[in-house]
Amino acid sequence: MEAVKNAFDFGDMPRNELGLAAVVLAFLLSFPLMPHSSFGMATMIQFLMFSLYGMGWNLIGGYGGQVDLGKAQYVGIGAYTTAVMMIRWDVPFWFSMPVGMALAVGWSFIIGYPLFRLKGHYFAIATIATSLVLKDLFEVWNFVGGARGLEIPLKGDFPNWLYLQFREDYYYYYVILGMFLIGFIYMNGFRHSRLGYQLRAIKDNEHVARSLGIDVHWSKIKAYAVATAYVAMVGSFHACYNFNIEPEDTMSLDLSVLIAMMAMLGGAGSMWGPIIGAAILVPMKNYLGSWLGGQAGFAGIDLALYGMIIMFIAAAQPRGVYGIVEAMRARRR
Amino acid sequence: MRKIALVAAIAMLAAMLVPAMAWAGPKEIKIGVIYPLTGPAAAAGRELRAGAELAADIANQVMPGINMDMAKNGGVKSLGGAKLTLIFKDHQGNPQLGADLAKKLILDDKVVGILGCYYSSVTKTVSAVCERYGVPMINGSSTSPTLTKRGFKWFWRTTPHDKWFTKDLFEFLVGLTKGKAKGVKAVPREEINTLAAACEKTEWGSNVAIEIKNFAKEYGFNLAANILYAAKSPDLSSEVQSLIAAKPGAMLFASYTSDALLMIKTLKSMKAKPKILWGQDAGFDKPEFVSLGDDIVGVLTRSVFLPSVVKMKPLSGQVNDLYVKKMGHDLDGASARAFTGLQTWVYVLEKAGSTEPKAIQAACNTISIPGNQLVVPWVGIKFSTKGDEIGQNVLGGGLIGQYQKQKDGKIGLEVVYPFDIATAPLVYPFQGY
Repeated sequence: MEAVKNAFDFGDMPRNELGLAAVVLAFLLSFPLMPHSSFGMATMIQFLMFSLYGMGWNLIGGYGGQVDLGKAQYVGIGAYTTAVMMIRWDVPFWFSMPVGMALAVGWSFIIGYPLFRLKGHYFAIATIATSLVLKDLFEVWNFVGGARGLEIPLKGDFPNWLYLQFREDYYYYYVILGMFLIGFIYMNGFRHSRLGYQLRAIKDNEHVARSLGIDVHWSKIKAYAVATAYVAMVGSFHACYNFNIEPEDTMSLDLSVLIAMMAMLGGAGSMWGPIIGAAILVPMKNYLGSWLGGQAGFAGIDLALYGMIIMFIAAAQPRGVYGIVEAMRARRR
Repeated sequence: MRKIALVAAIAMLAAMLVPAMAWAGPKEIKIGVIYPLTGPAAAAGRELRAGAELAADIANQVMPGINMDMAKNGGVKSLGGAKLTLIFKDHQGNPQLGADLAKKLILDDKVVGILGCYYSSVTKTVSAVCERYGVPMINGSSTSPTLTKRGFKWFWRTTPHDKWFTKDLFEFLVGLTKGKAKGVKAVPREEINTLAAACEKTEWGSNVAIEIKNFAKEYGFNLAANILYAAKSPDLSSEVQSLIAAKPGAMLFASYTSDALLMIKTLKSMKAKPKILWGQDAGFDKPEFVSLGDDIVGVLTRSVFLPSVVKMKPLSGQVNDLYVKKMGHDLDGASARAFTGLQTWVYVLEKAGSTEPKAIQAACNTISIPGNQLVVPWVGIKFSTKGDEIGQNVLGGGLIGQYQKQKDGKIGLEVVYPFDIATAPLVYPFQGY
């Protein structure tokens, strides 16, 4: 009961942030009703997906201070569980998604237990390694389609809620928006939870946290498991949304880095960071890429611009965009 | 400060809300073209784009010097001389991005149909989007066999696929042992009986690997190594080491552009000495590949178009001249097939006499384009409508070419297979490094 109360307790947020949140929520809910391009819709869906990935990353990377560059492996586990169960045993999305989350959480315990004995860069490198090893295994594992991946066959009768197959993207939009809202509210509860406070204490000073009786190792593993559940959930959605998955697009290092980058750009360790990061990078990635990529002679410039903006933010304010907002607020006081 | 943030937020929202300026004029037919214009296959993307553009130019104008029906009409005649407009999109080799771009083209730009996507992995997702929306897609250059085995109703492929190409390779190897190759005496079987293959590991390459494995078994060759590698990989030395360790008579590759270059450089640095070095088109058939100079003399590649085809087909020569004027070099397998893909679109629209999807679907399923209209050396274009392959052109064919030093000192491709149309004697064995 306490946990539910915590989740809906936004009392500690500044009033203008709450106002802004209400405006954003109203916008998100009504977006499909407004005139929009289909590319705008695809971009919004990706924005919500990456916000959720970022929230997952933020749990362990932001609140816990453990830079994780292997989140894509959990995207892959979620996506593959759903796809394999759907193709081989005709299991609906709503059953395979929790199974995918459970498998991913199980895997996170297996690798989290030894990995959290490492710190700093060593931890980051170890997460990259486990993710790449898993990707390589999937690439040669014929049961899951090997490097060619899996294609989910079309059921034909749209809309199909059970298998999450729709012709129009706004169905997908509302499904992922629902996940986004649940994820956001859960995240708010997590901030106020015992584990949330423990994690922040660990991030500030691990030795002090330990002296206060916090089981540092176990707290990290638990938080990592929660983070994993977020990412695997969206991974399952990814499989249904794309109808096609490959190790290369669900488990690549590019994806892991992108997830971490969005959260860091927005501001690691804050509620809004991953959302701000995704709101900046996803449209930029999509629009600049499709606009410049189609013009002869300009192809590739978008990638250079993209890199420059990230370098600029990293140099100007390492705590990301939300860090800039906080710094301004502090100055005004 | 808050004002600035507000303005920025509104600007961003506005950018997302503005519907793309979708307005189909009566005299314009929009075709969405999705290719890898950046990323590891950017070089191929440039050729593909130029090939499709050239076909559209020829279709839109009256060109008396070109002996092709579409060069005489100045637009699509059955649609009142409507001109083709190509809308290019860059999928960067990313299947998900490809699918998003396909939706954008279909829903925002209101294209009549799609041409693309070179990468089989992207063609797979894009064709699934087209299938969902009932929009026709013609594919000119993705060769993964599975693409036409899905029973799709809105997908047609003009190029032959890897099963045919790989069979050609084994026919070539067997022919070599029987002394059929021009200028080479029968090669003892044991000299080339051991094979080693390295294929890039996405949809295309991994299917090539499977075909190689199956045909090696069927033809009784010993496939000692069959490696999959990442096309983006910055280093291929461990892969090459395993290839050399297998002591193969023939090394076989399925590589995109940058990895094909790296592969040859690594083979050279490790002093590989196979008797035959064969590539499955793609990276082995790019202008950049020729820049490796003497290192590739004797290398074989399968293709659907080689500049020496010009000697056999005058029409290819006419189109090739225009291409050279535009790009500064000859047509290659990628550009010739992109050209043919768009050309097929023109003939299909001409036959359909309408831009309605159903009419186009019917036209695709019944069209028959004779070989004398094409730049590629095929019997023609006719799509299968039954059996386990739906939408596959059944009249295509492949070539095997070899890089040879020509009289002017330049390195060029000569046809060495099919044996009866070889344009030069085969150089055997490969020089080695």
